[in-house]
Amino acid sequence: MSEMWQDAMVAAFREMASRGVLFLPKLMALVTFLMLGLAIGWLVQVSLMRILNVVRFEVFCERMGLTPALTKAGMKQQIPHLVGRLAFWIVFLFFAFMGVDALDLPATANLMSAILGFLPNVIAAILVGLLGILLANFTGEAVLIAAVNAQIHGARFIANMVRWGVVIFTVAMVLTQLGIAKEIVVAAFSIIFGGIVFAMAIALGLGGRSIAKEVLERRFGREKSRDEFTHI
Amino acid sequence: MGEAVWEQVQEQCSDVRTVDLLVALPSFNQSSTVGPVVHAIVAGLKSAFGQASILFLNADVGSQDGTPDLVRQTVGDSLPFASIRPNTDGMSGSTFALNRFSYSGMPAREEAFRSVFAVTRRLEAQACIILDPSVRSITAEWVALLAQPILEKGADYVAPVFSRQRYEGSLTNNLIAPLTRALYGKRVACQIGGGYGFSQKLSSFLLENEALWEGDAGRFAIDSWMTTVAVAEGYEVWQACLGSKVQDIKAGAADISTSLAQAVGATFHYMERYQDIWEKQVESQEVPIVGRPVEITMESVPIQVDRMLKGFRQGLRDLLPIWEVILTPDTLAGVLELGLRDDEEFRFPLPLWVQTVYDSAVAYHEKVIHREHLLKSLVPLYLGRTASVVLETKGGGPGMVQDTVEHGCHTFEVMKPYLIDRWRFQ
Repeated sequence: MSEMWQDAMVAAFREMASRGVLFLPKLMALVTFLMLGLAIGWLVQVSLMRILNVVRFEVFCERMGLTPALTKAGMKQQIPHLVGRLAFWIVFLFFAFMGVDALDLPATANLMSAILGFLPNVIAAILVGLLGILLANFTGEAVLIAAVNAQIHGARFIANMVRWGVVIFTVAMVLTQLGIAKEIVVAAFSIIFGGIVFAMAIALGLGGRSIAKEVLERRFGREKSRDEFTHI
Repeated sequence: MGEAVWEQVQEQCSDVRTVDLLVALPSFNQSSTVGPVVHAIVAGLKSAFGQASILFLNADVGSQDGTPDLVRQTVGDSLPFASIRPNTDGMSGSTFALNRFSYSGMPAREEAFRSVFAVTRRLEAQACIILDPSVRSITAEWVALLAQPILEKGADYVAPVFSRQRYEGSLTNNLIAPLTRALYGKRVACQIGGGYGFSQKLSSFLLENEALWEGDAGRFAIDSWMTTVAVAEGYEVWQACLGSKVQDIKAGAADISTSLAQAVGATFHYMERYQDIWEKQVESQEVPIVGRPVEITMESVPIQVDRMLKGFRQGLRDLLPIWEVILTPDTLAGVLELGLRDDEEFRFPLPLWVQTVYDSAVAYHEKVIHREHLLKSLVPLYLGRTASVVLETKGGGPGMVQDTVEHGCHTFEVMKPYLIDRWRFQ
């Protein structure tokens, strides 16, 4: 009885020891990956920030209206810094997932391949989002200036409508790209966008027919209106 | 492009190898006005340059109304004649060519000028004059006024000066001319259209410098930048007083904000190119003038002060976030104060206006916002200043308007150190 108990204990200990011996390199691999992730992530962050500073990316973002948009949204950091941090976390997470994969746990067996498979969608969504914000600001600003120069009442309202229209369109595209509630997003977007266009068409057709006629005549008419500035 | 247009000339005038004077007429759907213009030009050439060898060149950018045929018929056998079709990338005359219109109202006008310069060089013409067929008031005298300074006095560029109605050319008088004078030290009126004269030296220079034609400034505002380039490069610039300019306004011509963006954009654009030159320039000089001196007439162009003030106030209300980026806090504070004044008491002080223009030039240089947005956002400020000039001078005669313009030019010169400081140390 005593021998059996002793054998069982030794066998269990050996089993545990051999598992531990087998797991230790994996754990070390995880730690190594994490440290590599930290080091390479930091390197990428610093390099990227320097490159963006050299090419005056901040000035570009300022000019395109991205910086003011992010400031309004409560983001206080400079864009190169933000991009650098984003790059750091992408690199770090990439290494962290490799480390987790190296542990060879049943629960995380396909984690890396699943993440790598989804990564292009995330990158595309980020790019679409950034471009969308830039486009929204650019078109909003252009419409505002054009409406003010045409002395249209409610110029700011029109510009905001255009800006938010582009933002909504961008959000719909981002969500579709990420595959989040795809059908609902498409349906909701179609209803909202179609509704706005339909409402505007009815408003113009019923209420603003004479104004539209006047605007078109002024735009394409051969005779210059007496109301226009001719002294330039 | 030079070879292609030269081949077209050779096909029509194989015996013409060199000429003393090239007379060019860029055209686009101007059959209603071109006949009398060509008659006047031919008469001018016969009376002033009867002994000179001449080629009459029509550079048509795609008329659909038979303008080139009409020009050919009108010239007849009186002069060697060639009609060319500059390369316009198939854009002229197209519905989608609206973005190719400069404020002249003519698409691809710049390409027509380039073609003329190319022919000038190939023909080794001593002088080249370019006239605008949409200007009904061209007389025979114009030909001599534009060509003689080049052929006989050694001028390189002859710019037009027209008699104007009160307040006409407000953008030129309040911004383009004073800024050009302060920058490059030449007192040129910077008026555009009608006619120009070029020496072979200048036309070759313009033709060979590809960089001059690049960007929106080069493509859409040739009338503005030719004068700028001529004064900045140190060419011998003359002015010809041509009398009045009566011109058909084209349906496709640009609106006020586009015109302002093109004209002011061209001036700002070349400030970057010629920074080394204008930074050193400290004083301005008169340029030689030919022709009877022109005057500002008592009769005023239609001008709506209340609408201009409304435009200024709307800009103040809606464009403030953009002006905050363009203008310095001092300038912006000054502009904000203007919003508190009643219509009759409204005055846009000249130093504040000069500061506004200089701040905008620096902002354009620094690319603080998209450049077209920057330029177009200046429209309400320009309207404010113009309204102020009208209110300041409404009780006085034409001389008072002229004095105001001259005072503006002087203030631009005096305040130039402000521009230099900001440009260097922004």
